[in-house]
Amino acid sequence: MRARPDEAYSSRRAPAMRAESCNCNFQVSIINPMPERKTARKIFIALLLVFAATLTTLLCRQFSVGPARSSPAFRAFGPETAKIRIYEYTDFACPHCRLTDAHVNKMLELYKGSVRLDFKHYPLTSIHPWSFAAAAYADCAGGQGKFREYADLLFEGQEQWARSKDKPKEFTEYARRLNLDAPALEKCAEDPAILRRIRLDSAEGDLRGVDATPTFFINGKRAVGANQFLEQVKKFDNLLKQN
Amino acid sequence: MIFDMFMSKPGTKELLGLAARLAAGGVFIYAGFLKASAPAEEFAYAIETYKVLPAALTLPAALAVPWIELYLGVFLTAGVFVRQSAFCVIAMLLGFEGLLLQALLRGLPVTSCGCFGASGSNSLGHEFAQNLAFLALAALAFKHGEKFSLDSLIDTHE
Repeated sequence: MRARPDEAYSSRRAPAMRAESCNCNFQVSIINPMPERKTARKIFIALLLVFAATLTTLLCRQFSVGPARSSPAFRAFGPETAKIRIYEYTDFACPHCRLTDAHVNKMLELYKGSVRLDFKHYPLTSIHPWSFAAAAYADCAGGQGKFREYADLLFEGQEQWARSKDKPKEFTEYARRLNLDAPALEKCAEDPAILRRIRLDSAEGDLRGVDATPTFFINGKRAVGANQFLEQVKKFDNLLKQN
Repeated sequence: MIFDMFMSKPGTKELLGLAARLAAGGVFIYAGFLKASAPAEEFAYAIETYKVLPAALTLPAALAVPWIELYLGVFLTAGVFVRQSAFCVIAMLLGFEGLLLQALLRGLPVTSCGCFGASGSNSLGHEFAQNLAFLALAALAFKHGEKFSLDSLIDTHE
């Protein structure tokens, strides 16, 4: 049986056409050598850069290399130029913070002029329902010039107000005791700007890996609780001599 | 062959393109790093003051924007996907300009523009003018920034 002329033509032509198309592809690959490989290389380098940038930034966060916000003037103690810089994250309803507060006050007296302490709020609201409100009242008392005094009263009366089921009356009582403008204090404690500032302190603490109070960062070095804080304080004389 | 691009004498445009790429990239790295290493809530509050995004979106935006700035800055500085990165930088800067302009026109009390984290802020007008300068740098990087880049190194290799 003879093949039809068109079939015979196609079977004879096919190898030649394949060869032509093969040559054609080869020529294309010489003109434009593996563009997809180059793109893949660029993507690989881009991913490496993303990895390095992410890692560097996260490490800087962890080691507190990034800029730290200063506290408002009423809760920043000591000169701006002090050689020892401390950031303290505290919760007014935390018993350890109350115990440590006395040590902090003594240290500030002893190293007056050489230490700068920025007090930061870190209310642990999941276990201390009134600590956020206490922080707001303390800041408002600070606005009236008596942050330290109000904070001391909050620590002193901690056991009375911290476990209260209703809003503690002590917050207003302390204001009266310190001759503060109590109605203004009440109003101020609900001011969104004040609440925002406390939330920012708390968010900053989260970013620095604070998960217990009190936590201190002393010239960048972390100390948690009274014992670690006092251990660091013992080194202050040497630190001041070195600088 | 790899060193051809370093050996050949670069023109003025190419040198300007390189300088613009490094400057625009550096600005984006700085702005992105400052914000990414600070609490996102801080930047979210700045975004809120522009009164453009719904409250629910401010925190996600504050979480994403600094990292995008950082990565674009790194790409631009290193010279990877130069044109695409410069294009994205231009798009972002135009977006920022839009935000600043509407705040200026509406007379919004924006105390911190959020441009470089919480490390102080100039007036909105000042920030707007500053962004115009950054836009010019990014445009220059888009047009002439491919010399001395990793892109050109890869393209000339093989």
